[in-house]
Amino acid sequence: MQKHKSQSLFIFACLAPATILFLIFMAYPTIDVFRMSFFERGAYSSNETFVYFDNFKVLFRDTRFIISAQNTIFLLVTVTVITFALALFFAFCLTKEKIRGNNFFRVVFYIPNILSVVVISGVFSAIYDTKNGLLNTLLSFFSGKTVSLLWKSEELVVISIAIAMVWQAVGYYMVMYMASMSSVPESLYESAGLDGANRAVQFFKITIPLIWTNIRTTLTFFIISTVNMAFLFVKAMTSGGPNGASEVVLSFMYGQKDAGLYGYSMAAGVVIFLFSFALSALVSRVTERNDLQY
Amino acid sequence: MLKRILSLIISVILITCLFAGCGQKDKTEPKLKVAALSSGYEETKPDMWKEICTAFTKQTGIETELVLEKNLEDVIGASMQGGDYPDVVLLATGREAGLTEQLIKDKNLTELTDILDMTVPGEKVKVKDKLEGGFIESVATNPYGDNKTYLMPMFYSPCGLFYNQGLFKAKGWEVPKTWDEMWELGEKAKKENIALFTYPTTGYFDSFCFSLMYAVGGPEFFNKVTNYEKGVWETEEGKTFIDIIAKLASYTNKKTPAQANDQDFSKNQLMVMQNEALFMPNGTWVVGEMADAVAADGFEWGMTALPAVKEGGDMYAYTWMEQIWIPKGAKNTKDAKTFISYMYSNEACKIFAQRNAVQPVRDVSNILSDENKLF
Repeated sequence: MQKHKSQSLFIFACLAPATILFLIFMAYPTIDVFRMSFFERGAYSSNETFVYFDNFKVLFRDTRFIISAQNTIFLLVTVTVITFALALFFAFCLTKEKIRGNNFFRVVFYIPNILSVVVISGVFSAIYDTKNGLLNTLLSFFSGKTVSLLWKSEELVVISIAIAMVWQAVGYYMVMYMASMSSVPESLYESAGLDGANRAVQFFKITIPLIWTNIRTTLTFFIISTVNMAFLFVKAMTSGGPNGASEVVLSFMYGQKDAGLYGYSMAAGVVIFLFSFALSALVSRVTERNDLQY
Repeated sequence: MLKRILSLIISVILITCLFAGCGQKDKTEPKLKVAALSSGYEETKPDMWKEICTAFTKQTGIETELVLEKNLEDVIGASMQGGDYPDVVLLATGREAGLTEQLIKDKNLTELTDILDMTVPGEKVKVKDKLEGGFIESVATNPYGDNKTYLMPMFYSPCGLFYNQGLFKAKGWEVPKTWDEMWELGEKAKKENIALFTYPTTGYFDSFCFSLMYAVGGPEFFNKVTNYEKGVWETEEGKTFIDIIAKLASYTNKKTPAQANDQDFSKNQLMVMQNEALFMPNGTWVVGEMADAVAADGFEWGMTALPAVKEGGDMYAYTWMEQIWIPKGAKNTKDAKTFISYMYSNEACKIFAQRNAVQPVRDVSNILSDENKLF
C-alpha cells in the first residue's frame, strides 16, 4: 500500500509540469478565444461589451472573409492533391527505378523544405517577375511569343501561392514516403511482376495500399499545416494583396486584430478552429481502411 | 521511504521552477521606459535613440531604459496586453499593425496638451513657441477633433510625386500644374509606351489620397472624410475625388497592383527610374533607398506637389509625420512629458538631423544637411 501510494505520487509529480503547462498555455487560451468571440473589444483595453453572436453574424456576411475562406479551401484542396500526387510519384520513381543520381534528386527535392518562407518568397518574387522572371521567360520560349503574365495579379495570385506551396512541400513528403516504400518487401513486386503487373498497376495495387497508414497520417498532418503555411506564404509573398485577392482565413483574422477588432478576429479564430477540427476528423474518417499486413 | 522523499523533492523543485518566473519583482529604481520604432533613420547612422537617451539623462538626470525594435508592435504589444506599459512611445499611425490607432480608438492615450506650455529642458523657450506652425492642428495630433493634443508630432518628410527630371527634359514635357494637364501628359506618355502613374504599395497610395483630398476640397473635405461624415461622397468634392482616382487608375501601369506588396514594391519604384511610369507618390527617403538601382540614362530625381484641381488652385503635398505619445497605463507620466518636451530642443534636433530625421521645429533647416534641403 505504502509503495503504491508513493508510486502514484511520483507519477503525479512527473505529469504535473506538463499538465499544468498544457492547461495554462493551451487549454486556457483556447477557451478564452471562444469566450472573447462573444465580445466587442480592442486588443489593448480591458473594456468589453457582450454582443452575443453579432461577431459571427457579421463574419458570415463579410465578403472579405468569404473570399479568404474560398482561397483557403482552394489552397487546401489543390495544394494537398498536387503535393501528394507528386510526392508519391517521385518517391516511387526514386525507390523503384534505378535512376542515376538518385541521392542527388533526393537532396534537390528536399532543399525547398529547409528554406524559410521568407527566402522562398524572395525566390518566387524573382520567378514571377513579369519582364525577366523565370516563368514568363520559359513560357515565352516555348510558346514563341512574348508572355507577360502578371503572376501576382488579382486573377492569378492564389495559383501563384499554390505553386510556391507545392514546391516547398513536395520534398518533405517525398522523403517520408520513400522511407515507408522502401520497407515494402521486394518479393511482392517480384511476384506481381511475374504475374504481368506493370509499374502503374504495382503502384496502385501494392504500394499505395501497403503504405496507406502512412498516407493517412501525413494527410491529416498536411491539411492542418497547410492552413498555417498558407498564412506564412501570404504574409511574405503578397501581404494579402492585391485588393485582398490572396487573403486566407488566418491572414484575415490577423488583419482584423490589427484593425482593432479583437473580438471579431477571435470569432474568425473560432470558425477556423472548428473548421480545421471538423476537416481533420472528416479526413481521418473518409480515409479509414483495414490495415494491411505484410 | 527514500524514494518518497526523493519524489517529493523533485516535485517541489519542479513546481518552484514553474512559478519562479511569475513572482519576480522589480527591485531597481523605476527608469523612464522609452519605446521607439527602429526605422530607416537608424540605418543611415545607428544609435540615434541611444544618443538621445544619453543626452536626455545628462540634461535632466532622469535615467532611461530604451526599447528599440523594428517590430515594436510585437514587442511592446504583448506586454501592454499584460498591463505593462512603456512610458513614452514613438510609433506613428498608419502602420500595418495599427497599434497607435487602436489606442486612440480605445481612448488609451494620455492628454499631452500641457506639454505645449512646458519649457524645453536646457532652454528657455516653451514647446509651443518652438513648434513649426500647423503641426498640432490636425487629426494626426488631436485625434478626437477637439483642441486637445494626444500625440506630439515628430520627424516629418514631404510626400510628393516623384518623377524622372531627365526624361521630362529630354522629351520637352512640363510638370503638370493641373489635373487636366496631367491627363494630357498621360496621353502623350501613352504614345511612348510610358504609363502616367505607379505606386510602391497601397500605403503610399493612401498617403497620395490624403494629399488629393486636400487638393480637391482643402482641410475641410479632408476632415469630413477622415471623420466618416455621412454623405461626404455625394458632395461635389467627393465626386471629383472619385473621378480623379478612377481616371488615374486607367493611366496606372498595369503591372503596379501585382507588385504592390512588401516583396516587390521596389520593382514599382524602379518603373519611374527606368521610364516605365512617370509619377509615383513617395517620400524623400526613396533617393537613398534606390541609390544602388540601375536607372535609365540621364535619370535625375524630381519631386513635385500634386496637381491642382482647377487652374490657379492650390497644390498640396502631404507631409508624412511620426508621432510620440504616452499610453494611459504609463507609470511615469511626469518624466515622460519632460522627455517629449526635450524632443524639441536644439540638442535633440541636431542628433536627429544627423540622420536626416527632421523635427517640426522652427529654423530646423539651419541644422539640416544640404541633400535634404533640396526637397
